[in-house]
Amino acid sequence: MLSRTADNMYWLARYVERAEYLARIIEATQRLTAVPTSDGATTNEWESAVATAGCAAAFFLAHKEANEQTVTDFLAFSPDNPSSIRSCFEVARSNARSVRTALTVEMWDAINGTWLELQKLGAGPASREQFANFLRWVQESSLRFDGSAYRTMLRNDAYWFSRLGVFAERADNTARILDVKYHLLLPPQEHIGGPLDYFQWAAILRCVSALTAYHWVYRESLKPWLIADLLILNDQMPRSLASCYAHLVEHLDNIARAYGRQGLAQRHARQVRTRLENSRMDEIFKGGLHEFIGSFIADNNRLGALITEQYLL
Amino acid sequence: MHIRISHETRYRYDAPTNGVIQTLRLTPRNHDGQHVIHWRIEVSEDCRLDAHEDAFGNITHTFTAEGPFDELGVQVQGEVDVQDTTAVVRGAIERFPPSLYLRTTPLTEPDSAIVDFARDTNSRGDDALAMLHALLGRIHTEMTYDTDPTHTATTAAEAFALKRGVCQDLSHIFIAAARYLDVPARYAGGYFHRADGIVQQDAGHAWAEAYVPTLGWIAFDPANGICATDAHVRVAVGLDYLGAAPVRGSRRGGGAETMAVKVLVDQAARQMQN
Repeated sequence: MLSRTADNMYWLARYVERAEYLARIIEATQRLTAVPTSDGATTNEWESAVATAGCAAAFFLAHKEANEQTVTDFLAFSPDNPSSIRSCFEVARSNARSVRTALTVEMWDAINGTWLELQKLGAGPASREQFANFLRWVQESSLRFDGSAYRTMLRNDAYWFSRLGVFAERADNTARILDVKYHLLLPPQEHIGGPLDYFQWAAILRCVSALTAYHWVYRESLKPWLIADLLILNDQMPRSLASCYAHLVEHLDNIARAYGRQGLAQRHARQVRTRLENSRMDEIFKGGLHEFIGSFIADNNRLGALITEQYLL
Repeated sequence: MHIRISHETRYRYDAPTNGVIQTLRLTPRNHDGQHVIHWRIEVSEDCRLDAHEDAFGNITHTFTAEGPFDELGVQVQGEVDVQDTTAVVRGAIERFPPSLYLRTTPLTEPDSAIVDFARDTNSRGDDALAMLHALLGRIHTEMTYDTDPTHTATTAAEAFALKRGVCQDLSHIFIAAARYLDVPARYAGGYFHRADGIVQQDAGHAWAEAYVPTLGWIAFDPANGICATDAHVRVAVGLDYLGAAPVRGSRRGGGAETMAVKVLVDQAARQMQN
């Protein structure tokens, strides 16, 4: 298989996953801004959304203020933002076109159909209701692509590279949510978190579709350290860091077995997976949640670089 | 090295036993340099295998097999990828500070002979690492590997007096001497891939780990006279053999019991490394 093909499969999957993530953030932020601030807390939710999407620097070059208008435009439609929803689908579709023969008919229909709809959309939906439908449609498009890959692709190296893209992006996304909102997950000091904190925590869980899952696993009211446990260490939760890395290790092992050699990418992924497997939440809090997440994001980026060096160049 | 392991333990009872309860420490964990690709335990009787973690972080499986039956087999199969980490054990579960492993146990109690041996090895007052290497070398050369005279309940002192023993005994002696010299040491059980091509073994392997403050936990294998390499698969650790024993259990009824163990440690398909 050409490294260019592997590169296209990897990034195609990553960009489609990223588009879904951006839609989730915007939806979660819209829900949060509808909550009335209780004690005059001055959290700017839209600024936090831009930070969660990882493009704060680029945003503040283009816009002065972070409000619903500017942020939704920047994150969803701006052609100047290489990670807006529109740009994600553009790049994904051009990657898909390059490897048209490595995709199944369903996958191509999914990504091409999405791109064609996006062209029809033009500058952006007019009303708020249309925008809500748009966000729902983005998530469904991503699901349709991911689902058709899972259901129809042959389990060979093309499939595994695309899975690597999905899980690397998913781990990065969950880590970013935790990173931006980590201060909410630190154990409360003197006072018990009020209604505003509850909505913030619920928003974190909704972002990863884990609100019901939380109650299923822990059978308790929302507690910040259990939320952190669910999203970092719990294998059952498909978007947790531990689960993403279990899959990354599995697929890197599959690739290594197929090619008859393993290298730095496999070893690094195993190292991160082992660290997540062997950690406990109280140890992580003792060492500092923010530091832990920061070093995880660095490790995740390093894994992306190693995969690129080893297979995609 | 990509190692494939098959470990079968078969118990035969003269008269059918009414029930057996066992705790298995047969599942390796991941740490830096050790990656479990897949691992499976199968018990020949219908039972529920409950997975837990013991105090040291070992994965334990407990099961109760209701009788009557006159044969019980525990079959373990798996594949592990081990990389050489120059014998340093990193990234493993460490539930306790190293000083806990200075505690002596009946199996590793140093008697006057072991005390003299330890003092003699440390006569030059070398730094800890050099001293441990000297200990390793001396035990390897001065003790003879012999499966006959000892059994699982032999203490370090008894084995040292005989100057004979299996890897379990040599490891106990190493641990006893190291602890006497104020070096935290623990027992490690697992599997060893032989370089001489012999794939079938009668038992798993045992070695010791000692703590050096600047380096961390280092694995020493007195039976082979080397530090652990990419041929060692680490399964369980404990203060001594009892804490890391692969199988511990009891049964109701059953008359006399015989146990047969067959271990196959083989290198799986060759894989290139970069």
